[in-house]
Amino acid sequence: MISWPSRLLLAAAILAGQFGLIEAGLRLEGGSEATPAFQALFLQDPQTGYRLKPGAHTRYTTVEFSTEIAINAQGVRDDRDIGPKAPNERRIVILGDSLTMALQVSVDRTFSALLEQRLNAADPSHQWRVINAGVQGYGAVQEALFYRHVAAAFQPDLVLVASSVVNAPLEAGKQSWLDADGQPAADAGDRASTLARRIVRSSMVLQLVNLRYTEFKAHFQAPVKELPLATYLSDPPPVVDSGLSVAHNAMAAIASKAAADGAKFAILLMPTRFQTDDADFGRLAKTVREAGGTLERNAGTERFRRAYASLGVPMFDVLPALEAQPHREDLFFQQNVHFTERGHAVAADAIFGFLKTSGLMAEVAAGRPASPLADRHTNAR
Amino acid sequence: MVFNSLHFLAFFPIVYAIYRVLPHRAQNVFLVGASYYFYAAWDWRFLGLLIGSTIVDYSMARYIARTEEPRRRRMALIVSLVYNLGVLGFFKYFNFFEGSLAHVFGWFGWHVDVITLHVILPMGISFYTFMTISYVIDVYRREIEPTTNFLDFALFVCYFPHLVAGPVLRANLLLPQIKNPRVITREQIVEGLWLIGWGYFQKMYVADNLSRLIEPVFDPALSPTGIEVLVGVWAFAFQGYGDFAGYSNIARGVSKLMGIELNVNFLFPYLVVSPRDFWRHWHISLSTWLRDYLYFPLGGSRHGELKTERNLMMTMTLGGLWHGAGWPYILWGAYQGFTLVANRWVDMVAKRFRWSVPAGLNWQRILLGLFMFQVTCVGMLIFRAVSVPDAGRLAKIIFTDFRFASKTVESLIIPVALIVVPFLVVHVYQAWKGTELAPLGLPRPARYALFGAVFYLILLFGDFQGAQFIYFQF
Repeated sequence: MISWPSRLLLAAAILAGQFGLIEAGLRLEGGSEATPAFQALFLQDPQTGYRLKPGAHTRYTTVEFSTEIAINAQGVRDDRDIGPKAPNERRIVILGDSLTMALQVSVDRTFSALLEQRLNAADPSHQWRVINAGVQGYGAVQEALFYRHVAAAFQPDLVLVASSVVNAPLEAGKQSWLDADGQPAADAGDRASTLARRIVRSSMVLQLVNLRYTEFKAHFQAPVKELPLATYLSDPPPVVDSGLSVAHNAMAAIASKAAADGAKFAILLMPTRFQTDDADFGRLAKTVREAGGTLERNAGTERFRRAYASLGVPMFDVLPALEAQPHREDLFFQQNVHFTERGHAVAADAIFGFLKTSGLMAEVAAGRPASPLADRHTNAR
Repeated sequence: MVFNSLHFLAFFPIVYAIYRVLPHRAQNVFLVGASYYFYAAWDWRFLGLLIGSTIVDYSMARYIARTEEPRRRRMALIVSLVYNLGVLGFFKYFNFFEGSLAHVFGWFGWHVDVITLHVILPMGISFYTFMTISYVIDVYRREIEPTTNFLDFALFVCYFPHLVAGPVLRANLLLPQIKNPRVITREQIVEGLWLIGWGYFQKMYVADNLSRLIEPVFDPALSPTGIEVLVGVWAFAFQGYGDFAGYSNIARGVSKLMGIELNVNFLFPYLVVSPRDFWRHWHISLSTWLRDYLYFPLGGSRHGELKTERNLMMTMTLGGLWHGAGWPYILWGAYQGFTLVANRWVDMVAKRFRWSVPAGLNWQRILLGLFMFQVTCVGMLIFRAVSVPDAGRLAKIIFTDFRFASKTVESLIIPVALIVVPFLVVHVYQAWKGTELAPLGLPRPARYALFGAVFYLILLFGDFQGAQFIYFQF
């Protein structure tokens, strides 16, 4: 007869061994943002919370794509370093989130790279450089902080913010970041939580456990548990308005800094997949309906447009160009919500068209100082 | 409420804690209340139907038992059958027959204004209706004595572990356990916990993950390749089994914890070698119900080959209709009837030529088992397709578009294998030992390793979205 302590010891040893086996299996299989190799693309940063790690390199593989990811010495997704600006060089910095960073396609297929190709083809007299400054998981506040502390040094002539119109609620608590010009200093509780986060991030098994915990918590939250979807509800929770207000302040900060640096500024409104994919919208609308809400397909775009309108800066909505495409279900990947190569090409064409017709391209090419007048630049619907 | 919901996770420990401290009669009263709450958590409006069935069948059974006059006994039985089948027919089949009738009239160019009622199917109605029908018939046949305690009968009908998705229990199994004080043994607790864990594994790791993977294969708007349809159908066979056997195991496990034994509903049905064997191992409580209350009354196999075959076809087609109000279910039932008829033909030929499959594990049995699995999968394709023409479309794709793409391997074949293989390892061992409780007899390190693996696979890779059980609304 084995004693209880021995049984517990045996059970603990077996559980620990299985933990190790599953951890090893998951690392070997890869294919997830939870892999330590993927997580190694990021570093903690006191000013932006986190950012891309200069010089990091990995391959990101899922069932839908396999992409080489390289972070240059300046900490943006680019295979070229960013040195001093040549006299005839015109630089555009595109701030944004994962849709801009575009880990799902190779670096030369992102809308940033394709936009650069189109600009150089249209204006061979200048050397156009479009810098993809998108960072996975960023919202308006972190974009503003990243611009202020990192990307402003790239000496852009034009700053574009590719603003995903799903993220309003995620910005709600970040006004303090803007006020403190960085992530607010951590107290003892925060430090413990940072340590816990680091431990969790170091293990794929623990990340999955954490995911379960998050899902469990979500059962006790608002009827629509996916916060980004809240931006599209016909009757959005107050957190959406607070988030939009903070996002507005963040855009104002970027516009102000860009103007001070002599750069022009414009906002690109980036839609989410279900705004162009009918089947996806049908599924989500049903889910939201079952949770007691109503999903309005373009409410996110409209709310961000209204929130940014008072800034008086040029604004361009990418959605109509995507909506005009045949086979819209091919514009985004099916198992994640990011552009396919085709989606990037359509977005690049649309943004290029906007820069051209709005006169921003000509203004940047001419090197004229920034103009706050925006009305003629906006593709109002 | 379903077993894989947070609601149940809170409900059961509270119910169990209270149950354990109550004396026997109070336990029964408490379980009736808890079971009504369990049912009302889905939709309280249909509680009336459940209570209605309880009152009608309790009264009819008692009337039948105390009446000797055959005509009155028959009348009481008819009242019970008309009530039960009427309720079942209205709630389960009204929309189907109304729509089908309008469709048939449409073929002749006649427009009929059908009554538009969006009838909701009450949860578990098919299960508890069949239970009460069998109870009244058993009393009518004088096979059992009716209970004289209304509360005991109410608990027999509404006992929450079996209420929404079976098993379809017989009165002679459950009523004595309700009537007599229960003793909960250590073995029952250990077995119950294992069955609950294994049931959740079957549901959350096997069935729900497979469901997500194969959804695009059966989406009428998409065009899968032949190999995707084939793998999708195989995977659906395991999804269906994991879903339903998982529910049955959780029900059995929960019951064991309360000292009540429910019957085994699934006994390794994909490891059999004939359709007849399949129905002795798949949804056993339903197949024996159909046998005892439909096939035998129709004459069974007592009136010659042709009538036996007719009876099999009728029984299984009605069994298909029991599964759902839709043509794919009826066709599925007819197909099952046909396989049973074909089984008889093969038996006759085999008998004539003195063919037989040796007992034990041998290559003939393995090949026959694999063939039988494909026979089962044809039925699964019919069952899963959204319509009969769509089942035809998918079957055609298997034979006309058998393209092999590396994407299929990565996105379907490997994930399906990662889900099915761990399940099969345990399943085959259980089948070898003849019981799902077999892992409890493993040496301690192996047993702990199995418990750990089940725990990790559910926690890390299980589906926690609370997907409904397929049989939830049958």
